[in-house]
Amino acid sequence: MLDSAMAALASLADPSLLIMLLIGTVAGLIMGLIPGLGGTGAVAILLPITFGMEPPQALALLIGALAVVHTSDTVSAVLLGAPGSASASVTMLDGYSMAKKGQAARALTLAFLSSMAGGIIGAVGLTLAIPLARPLVLSFASPELFMLTVLGVSLAAVLSRGNIIKGVSAGLLGLILGMVGTSPTTAEERFTFGSLFLGDGLSLVAVALGIFGLAEIASRASQRRGEKQTISLGGGWGQGIREWLSHWTQVIRGALIGIWAGVLPGVGATAGTWMAYGQAVATAKDKRQFGKGDPRGIVGPESANNSVEAGDLIPTLLFGIPGGVPSAMLLGMLLTYGIQPGPSIITEHLDLMYLIVWSFAIASILGALLCFLSVKQLAKLTKVPFAVLAAGLVAIMLLGSFQEGGQLGDLWIMIILGVFGWLLKSTGFPRAPFLIGFVLAIPLERYYFLTDSLYEGFDWMARPGVLVFLAILILPMIWALIKFIRARRHTNLDDGHRDEQPEDDEAPLKNSTWSLAASGIFFVAFAAAFLSSASFSPEARLVPQLVSTGGLIFSGILLFMEIRRRLRGRTPHADHTLAEKADGSLGKQPVKAGWTLDAKFALKTFLWMTGFLALTAAFGYLIAVTIFIPAFLLIVARARLKVAIIYTGVLYIVLLALPSLLPIDLPQGWLNTLV
Amino acid sequence: MTVLVAYASAPEGREALTEGIKEAHRRKSDLLIVNIGRGHHDLDAQELQELEGQLIEAGLALTIESSILADPGDAVIQIAQERGVEVIVIGLRHRSMVGKLILGSTVQRILLDATCPVLAVRADKL
Repeated sequence: MLDSAMAALASLADPSLLIMLLIGTVAGLIMGLIPGLGGTGAVAILLPITFGMEPPQALALLIGALAVVHTSDTVSAVLLGAPGSASASVTMLDGYSMAKKGQAARALTLAFLSSMAGGIIGAVGLTLAIPLARPLVLSFASPELFMLTVLGVSLAAVLSRGNIIKGVSAGLLGLILGMVGTSPTTAEERFTFGSLFLGDGLSLVAVALGIFGLAEIASRASQRRGEKQTISLGGGWGQGIREWLSHWTQVIRGALIGIWAGVLPGVGATAGTWMAYGQAVATAKDKRQFGKGDPRGIVGPESANNSVEAGDLIPTLLFGIPGGVPSAMLLGMLLTYGIQPGPSIITEHLDLMYLIVWSFAIASILGALLCFLSVKQLAKLTKVPFAVLAAGLVAIMLLGSFQEGGQLGDLWIMIILGVFGWLLKSTGFPRAPFLIGFVLAIPLERYYFLTDSLYEGFDWMARPGVLVFLAILILPMIWALIKFIRARRHTNLDDGHRDEQPEDDEAPLKNSTWSLAASGIFFVAFAAAFLSSASFSPEARLVPQLVSTGGLIFSGILLFMEIRRRLRGRTPHADHTLAEKADGSLGKQPVKAGWTLDAKFALKTFLWMTGFLALTAAFGYLIAVTIFIPAFLLIVARARLKVAIIYTGVLYIVLLALPSLLPIDLPQGWLNTLV
Repeated sequence: MTVLVAYASAPEGREALTEGIKEAHRRKSDLLIVNIGRGHHDLDAQELQELEGQLIEAGLALTIESSILADPGDAVIQIAQERGVEVIVIGLRHRSMVGKLILGSTVQRILLDATCPVLAVRADKL
């Protein structure tokens, strides 16, 4: 085992691997700065580039990026008070207050060092998990693996924040979407409607980039930042280092919480960070400074959000069950290389496992170092309005999703799913279970039929491993039920809900006509899946029908609740009381239902994207970019003419040079077929 | 000096408020209400106005505060430490063994972590 670890370290001396790791780290730092991208965006954008590479190079690139996205996302949270990602909003509480006192450098030092430590501890955790889990993993047979896939989807649905029924519905719909294409058991086509294009199933990159990337762009493109006054970097680097050393226990505790949050599917960096913050507050004797610039409020959470990504990799690599969205995409990448994560990776690709571990640790150190060196320049990037960045991001994301299959149809699917992803995000549906369901759909079915053919009836249910997983599956549901009942009875005063984050305003259209519409779409989709699966052969029909029946039940409940809320009407609000004014909750009143400004802007952004795609289909990618980018910059982002010209010019040259540097194809339009 | 009432929209919260008002009058201290319930408190404008008037008559002040901390126990302790309050008043109720085991207890956390005396009152009178 030590041999493999050392061999992997030695292989990192290969210049091509080191360069990839460096490129990945720099890309990860930049994407961490851009709001809304985070680990998901970083992997999604870099994934298409890796398609032509060897697995070690590709892994070095992706892991390099994944390890550092949470290192740089702190910069905007501390300097601007505008978190780059949801998980950085925790750091903002204390970091921004510290920066306002002229101690930005102190806050950033604490954050960078903790991020680095979190990444290294995460890598150590991953290393230790391999020998510990090895005997366990090797004893798994298809029943256990089947239970694990079920567990992966359902835990993701139950544990991700927001309404559990919404989570389960999203997970089930992800499963249905993952079943589009050829059935793994009978090789017949399902849900393809006779289309040859859908026969291969939907492209993972297109689904992930649509649901997360485009949806994020649409919901944030309306934000114009940049006018906000920046806080200058004050002194305090040395003080930060000393303080960080004195809080080393918080660093380790935060990292361990992060690993744990990463291992559980669907919990992810945001919840993990809040858990670490809650822990820091709960164990502190003197709580006066929390939220007003307490170093303990930065150290623990920052260490946690980096170790989450390493923790995510544990179930992904060892069991083939992704813990989060970035690792779900990484899983997809490994599968395209013919590397089957799960028991076999330990026996056949142990060197790759250790390569990942080392890359993670080295990238964490490199990321912190680069952040220290370039923090002034990084701070400038955070002042660019998001709409300006959005233009380039749309172009890159669409190009990325084209790489997997080389088909324009993937791009249309991506935009459609982008609209759907925006709807999910705005109405408070968790999106992680959706993607995890999508990735696990085929393994779930394959392991089920394998189990079914190897065992008599339900004998496999009696295997001890299966029973343990069954218990893990059922306990959180009972827990959720208890919480639900208690919440209804309003006798929940004594609940220690320490690990719950405060309601955020990520879902502005919750409880509006939009969420009713979303529930309706879910119901209709499940009904359509149920009806159209009736024509399949019995074997191909079983799982889709089970899933869609479950989906019909859950989305039915959701629809019923939405309609009932609508019929009852909202409880009339009394005049704003002294208390409401005092705790600043006036601004948090439920938003007005229906057609809000956000929705209008998001739909407009999607129309722009559709226009871009239509241009691409007609004239090819390069011409589409030269029309779309300046138009979007001038009209939507209201950038200056000079900016638009330089921006377009640079992007055009990069796109022209890209195919000769990297294995990338540019979409050709209808016009090119004529010439 | 100040008396802090950890209020929640439930019988035990009401009980704590009643006892807190008495305590404030007795100690000649200002009253500080911290909402620890999920969501918003249910004290309406009129009720608060009456309470404020009643306190002003006695030469005392009423304030309502909240904290950014997610855990209600932590929030109460943070505000108590910041304001240097004299006493925290909190309502409690009967809890079965299993209930305590599974759900933890805000009251217990406040009792153990507070740096000032805590007055715990029962809603379900024995």
